[in-house]
Parts: sequence; C-alpha cells; structure tokens
Amino acid sequence: MNANIYQPDLMEVVQVRQQTADVKSVRIRFRDEERARAFSFRVGQFGIFSAFGAGESPFNLCSSSNWQDFIEFCFRRTGRVTEALWNIDEGDIVGFRGPYGNAYPMDKWRGKNLIFIGGGIAMPPIRCAIWYALENRDQYGQITIVYGARKVGDLVFQNELDRWAEYDNVRVVTCVDPGGESPDWKGEIGFVPTVVQQADISAENAVALVIGPPIMIQFTLPVLSKIGLGDSDIYTSLENRMKCGVGKCGRCNCGPAYVCKEGPVFTLEQIKKLPKDF
Amino acid sequence: MIETLRDTCRQLLRDGKVDVIIGYGQDPVGQAFSPSDVAQAFSPSDVARASSPCSSTQARCPGSDADGPVFPVFIQRPEDVDQLVWNNRCYANLSVYLKRPEIRALGRPAVVVKGCDQRALVVLEKESQLDRSQVHVIGMACDSMNRPKCETCDVHEPRGTDVVIGKAASNTNAISADQRYSAINAFLARSSSERLAYWRQELARCVKCYACRQVCPMCYCPRCIVDKNRPQVISTSATLKGNFAWHITRAFHLAARCVGCEECTRVCPMGIDLRLLNLSLAQAAEENFAFRAGDDPQAEPVVGSYALQDKESFIQ
Amino acid sequence: MSEIFSFATLRRLVDQWITEGRHVAGPRLVNDRLLYGWLESAGQLTLDGEARPRNSIKEFLFPRHEKLYGYKLGRKRVELTEVAPLVDEQIVIAARPCDAALGPILDHVFNWDYADATYNRRRELTTLVTLACQSYDAQCFCTSVGSGPDDPRGSDVMLYALDEGILEIRCLTEKGRRLFAGQTEPSDLEAQVGAGPEIRFDLDKVGEFLEGGFEDAQWPEMARRCLGCGACAYTCPTCHCFDIVDEGAGGQGVRARNWDACQFGMFTLHAAGHNPRSQQAQRQRQRIYHKFRVYPQKFGTLLCTGCGNCTRNCPVGLGVRPVLSAISRSSTK
Repeated sequence: MNANIYQPDLMEVVQVRQQTADVKSVRIRFRDEERARAFSFRVGQFGIFSAFGAGESPFNLCSSSNWQDFIEFCFRRTGRVTEALWNIDEGDIVGFRGPYGNAYPMDKWRGKNLIFIGGGIAMPPIRCAIWYALENRDQYGQITIVYGARKVGDLVFQNELDRWAEYDNVRVVTCVDPGGESPDWKGEIGFVPTVVQQADISAENAVALVIGPPIMIQFTLPVLSKIGLGDSDIYTSLENRMKCGVGKCGRCNCGPAYVCKEGPVFTLEQIKKLPKDF
Repeated sequence: MIETLRDTCRQLLRDGKVDVIIGYGQDPVGQAFSPSDVAQAFSPSDVARASSPCSSTQARCPGSDADGPVFPVFIQRPEDVDQLVWNNRCYANLSVYLKRPEIRALGRPAVVVKGCDQRALVVLEKESQLDRSQVHVIGMACDSMNRPKCETCDVHEPRGTDVVIGKAASNTNAISADQRYSAINAFLARSSSERLAYWRQELARCVKCYACRQVCPMCYCPRCIVDKNRPQVISTSATLKGNFAWHITRAFHLAARCVGCEECTRVCPMGIDLRLLNLSLAQAAEENFAFRAGDDPQAEPVVGSYALQDKESFIQ
Repeated sequence: MSEIFSFATLRRLVDQWITEGRHVAGPRLVNDRLLYGWLESAGQLTLDGEARPRNSIKEFLFPRHEKLYGYKLGRKRVELTEVAPLVDEQIVIAARPCDAALGPILDHVFNWDYADATYNRRRELTTLVTLACQSYDAQCFCTSVGSGPDDPRGSDVMLYALDEGILEIRCLTEKGRRLFAGQTEPSDLEAQVGAGPEIRFDLDKVGEFLEGGFEDAQWPEMARRCLGCGACAYTCPTCHCFDIVDEGAGGQGVRARNWDACQFGMFTLHAAGHNPRSQQAQRQRQRIYHKFRVYPQKFGTLLCTGCGNCTRNCPVGLGVRPVLSAISRSSTK
C-alpha cells in the first residue's frame, strides 16, 4: 500500500447554507466520479475536512448515509480552519478524508424506540441518525427528539425540525434557555436536562443518543438513568481534538481509546470506564 | 550557608509568613525516602541514590550521585526544609515559577534567588506581573555557577531581596560593558556572511521544543505569538525559516527585558547558543539607552516608556 | 568465532558510503555536545564521550517536519501535488540500542489499519548500525524497561567496541550483512557485554499503580516542577505525536506534519475553548500513561526504551524515570 493516507479527496461545494449567526452547513461531492461511486459511510462517522491554506478539521458527516449525491458537514466559525470554510461558496473546492471512526449501531437499534437529545451545535451529528431512522421508518419504533439551544437563533436545521415532526410516531420537543426565546417561540423554555425530565419519555425498549456541550451531557445523563435507561443504552459522541483521524498523531488519545478510531461513538457504559480526560 | 537558608525557611513557614518555599533540592546522599516523601521532595535520581547507579564493573558514570541534578523543590512544611540545598549546580532561575498556576495555587511564596535571577523580579514588577509585597525573596550570595554568564557577573550578592544569605568571596566588581559583551563583540567581529552561515547552521537544529520559552521568566504571555494562528505570524514548523522567525521574534520580544539569566541557553537540548541573540539586544539597549534590564528598579523600561530624546522619530 | 573489523575500516566505509551518495547519520560533536546528525565525512563520527546523544534517531525515520503533499489554489480549482517518492538509502551508524528499538515499537502505531507509507518507506530505506553500550550515565534506565546494552530490536547490525580500535560485528539482518560483506575478518575475540545500568524501578509495580492510579493524589506533586516544554518528547525516540499544518503563501504551499508534544497546553485545546488537560499535571500523567499503559495494552510493547533523554534534557530534571521511581517506591507498601 503506497497510498498517502493524509492526502484528501478534492470535493466540490454544491451548497452552503447559513444555519445561525456563526454556523454553516456545507454539501460537497466528489470531483472524481469513480471515488463518488466507491464511497460509502455509516451515520455517526466523521471526516477530516480541509480548507487549503488554512488546514484541516474533523466534523461529523451530518447527512444520512442513504443520500447518494452529496455528503454534508456543519461547523461553527471558531478557529483558523472554520474561518476559511466560512468564506467558501458553491463551486469552491475543499478537501475531505474519511470516513473515519465508528458509527451509531443503527442495526442494533432496529425495533427500538429512539430518543435523540441534542444541544446547540451538536444537532448535526444527531441529524444524520434521525434522517437515517426516518428513511427506514418501519424499522424503528417511537422517535423522540429533544433539541435545545441557548436562544432561538442558535437552533440549527430549524427547517427540518418541522419536517421530522410530520412523520408518524415522531415527537419533536424544542427548547431554548430562559431568555433565549423570541416573541413567536412555540417551543419549551428551559434547559435540556429539565425539559427531558418533564417530557414524560418512556425508557421502555429505548436507546438514547445524547450529544451536546459537556455541561448538558453531565446533567442529562442522570435524568435518563432515572427514567430507567441503562448505561449500555445511552450513546454519545466524543469530540476530542484530532489531527490525523487515523490513530497516529496521538492527540485524541483518552485512556485506552484513540477516539478517532475506537470512537467517536461510545456508550455511557464505555465512557464510565474511560479516565476523565475528555 | 545552607543551614542559614534552611533556618530562614523553617522560620518563614513556622511563622506562617509564607506557604511555600521555591528552592533547590537534590538527593540527600544515603537518606532513604519514604513514600510520603514523594509528595514533598520528588527527586529525579532518588533510586540512583538509594542503590548506586554505577556498579563497579562499569567504566564510567558521570552525572550520578554527588553530581546528581539539582532541581526545583516546593517546600510546604517546616520539617521538610532540610531538602533544600545550595551548591554550584543551582542553575535554574526559580523566578519562572512565580507565574505558574500550579505554584500560585500553593499560596504565598518565598523564592530563592541568585543575584542574576533577582533581576528578573525587577523586570516582572516593572511590567506589573509581580506584586513584590506578596513574595518573600531570599537572596543567595553566589560566587559562580560555572556558567558563561558568571564570568561577567556583577551581582554576586543579590540586591532588593528580603534577606541575603552568605557572603560572596568574589568581589562584586564593576564589570565594564566591554567585558559584559565580549562574547557578542567577538561574534560581531566576524563577517556578516560568516554570521549568517553560523545562524543557519545553529538554528537548523532547533526542534521547536520551546524549552527556551518555558524556562524564561519574561515569557509570561498567556498565548505566545507562535501559538496564535489567526493569522499565523510565525510558522510552527521546525524548518530553517520557521526557526529563524521564532528565535528572532523571541529575541526582539526580549529586547531590553532579558536579564541575561541564560536559562534558555542552558536548557536547549540541541545546544544552540541563544545567549548571543540576547546579548546583542542587551548591548543595543545599554549603548543606546544606558539601560540594563533588571539593574535599576527605578529606571523606566525602555520598551515601555518614551522620552523626548529618543533617537527614533516614528513615534513622535 | 566472531567477526571483527577496525575503527579505521568503519571510517573508510562511512566515507565511501557518503561518496556513493548514501545519507549517513551518526553521533557527532556539536558545540561540545553529542548529537545525532547527518555526517559530511567520517571524521565527524564520534563513538566515545557521553553515554548517548542528547537527541534521538527519530529524526531520520520520522522527521520533525515532513511535507505530506503540496497544494496550489486557483479560481474554483485546487491542485494537489504529491511529494517526490523517497529513494535515497540512509544509514544510521553508531545508533544506541535504545534508539534503534524505536522502529519495531513505532511500526505498530504507524500501521494499525492505516499504513503510513512515508514512515514505512523510510524504514525500508534505512539501515541501522547499532553500537552496543559500554557506558551509562545516571539517567540511563534501559534495564528497567526490559531492554539492555545490546538489545537487538530494530538493529540491522550490532557493533561491540573491543580494545585497540577493533570492533566486533554481528550482522542481524540481510540488510546489515550486505552492508558489511567482505569487510570483516574472523577472530576469536568476543565482546563482553555488561549488565547495563542497574534497575531503577519496578516495572510491575508501575503497572499496578497505573491500573487504578489515574486519579492518584500524587500526580500534581510529581508534576509540579514541570514547565511544560517539549524537550522530553522531542528528544524521545518513541514520542511520535504530530500536528498537521498548512504552510504557504500566494495561493500555494504544502501541507506538512510537525512533531507535537502532549506537554504543550495547546495540544488538546478545543477551538471552542474547552481543554480536557488544562493542567500540567494532567499532561504529565498522559505522557506516562501513554507510554506505560495505553501503548502496551494496545500494541503489546512499552512506548519507552529507557534511553533517559527525557530527564537528561529536562530543564528541571523531570522525565520518565523520576516519575516511575516515585511511583515504584510509593507502591512499596
């Protein structure tokens, strides 16, 4: 094998959508038709995306793995790479390496009720699983989506929230922190853990995927345990700083795990065995 | 001298005047450490001491036993002051620890300094990095640590400390600027192409471990310019270009601030004589502004002040 | 029976290799300091003096700065250019066994699932001629980590200094045999290998401590004097963490990888501000855990050869051995 594992594929930007004041989602497709045909991934995996001249950053592939024409990623403008990505337009070229890491066990989740809980910018890595489940609607039971942000303007993929709610047996609960509501806000007002607690969610035959800021996760997990979910039924995705994505550069190492390879998806059971180092 | 130092420190801790002594430690020969000592005097050649590292069958074993490294220790209990040492390998400039959050967390410090180290405190105070009233400074008279800087030392007995322990045998003679800058003058006597070739060869070795920056009492920026990437002003690569950019930038940031403790030079794993860069700028400050960093607590810092008689007009 | 040859022959060979265009690296004196570096002539090769060079041969297999590929930006266009394939053979002469072992150790991480082609190519192109150790300093601790003065791991050839400018040579691989074919003569002299530095700590106890010692109250004490530089990592034969950066201007440049170190505060800093290892003690702990628990559990080998460079180069005398000695001692209960 002489392939350069660090060399990305060149991708054409097919759509840029501004989600919030500082979040954009970008759809890209392979320039090389053969690569496009050969490519597949599983929801939950991530990629390393390049803005040439600025660098690379890891983002979740937030499109459903059923979508053939493009892959999508979503980022918040915070650093050098995301600043450069912020300025790209349709037709521009970015780099992509991947897919990397493990995925959500969508097969294992078949027949289960799914609880998705997200906070702020953490919606994209949940969104891919939501679409995947909705596209295979008959394979999954009740779907409950709780999505919160600081303020209304911080909710990403807002236009999709209503579409999800139109599916059978899907419940979408949105919330914003107190003070974050707009005059026409129809969702809940409160923090995610509280909203989850009050949402009367059944743990029966359910698995939960919880992704968000550390503080949200920290307070949401006890709520889920309280309603009866076991540690092996609660999943999250770790967002360690990464560089190589292929288990070499050492940056994402957390205890026994190289998050880029053995993660980013872990159950709470697995997380509890990891040292508090993430 | 060592007993005076230990007595002083014991008293400071007993009286609750300070919470921690930042001093020098070494492995006390023959004394076994108990597990609880680990926390108190964590030492680098502890086992080497407990069981001699050199069996008689081995030819040489430099740097062991009595030559064991001297390292910083943080003494918090009066009964532990016997771990303090004072000898001619107390190289480190301990003032660097005053800025570190791990050490600040220990409470009010006393710091052991040599005359050269004390100059760093003067600059730090002038730059509002240090509340001198919150630090107890223990000066140690020092004849020489056998470093290049010691040859032109004019502060064998520290100034501006709360106490000076010992008497220097060496007179604190006036050292002329010629003596002080003899190394850089000798270097500057070479042609510019020779000098460039020298720096190309030396800086090519730099691996960018940033030991020079981390030991420097003056490098206290929360985020160093080389770690800033919006924009990326200095390449982080350890290439000739990136290394020139780093060392020249750092030298300029230390202009008229570097007190010449030469810790950067001592700790460079690749043996780069960074001292020359710093000497060059120190010389410029002394020649143009009659200023030596850390020398006079009353003098306004060159970079931080402005005078009408300044030569450059760009600021007027 | 053994095979021997003289220092003079070795020097002649080194000069010959250099003339032939092979890259030859070895220990040489730079400003009175023994450092591995590329040799311009055999005269620079220094076989005596300090116990070992202050840097490691890592530089020759995993350079501090390495171009991964080039990029050229156009309007709605990006062109990537591959770096020229590595073809030049290189020979590292008089490497210490604690350096040579890095190959078999790092092969694991550079090849699990994804094979790092450049690393592997450099390994193929490199012949490691190792000099068995006869002297040690207070920082050497190879014997404490299961290695020793003539540990053959990673070496193609092992040289043993005999008296009177004579070396015994033991070729360990075909690559090594080819290099010295016809240059040696049979002899009945045989090198006596010393026992190496005394055991400095009990590796089993270290392992036991690490199993449950992540939150141990000793870490902050043990790491207290660490100043957070990368001198330990960058002179370590086995530390291999890296960063990936873009360097260029005017629409073109290279994407390169640079050494990085877990002791730097920025190493794990998230763009959003969260830092899982915001304290130096956590970073020290990570370095020890990675070397003595994570790597061995994952790849079956310690990420440490006992060279002692971390302590030798530490501005404040820290490094692996002082920490492990303290751990080993604190476990003696």
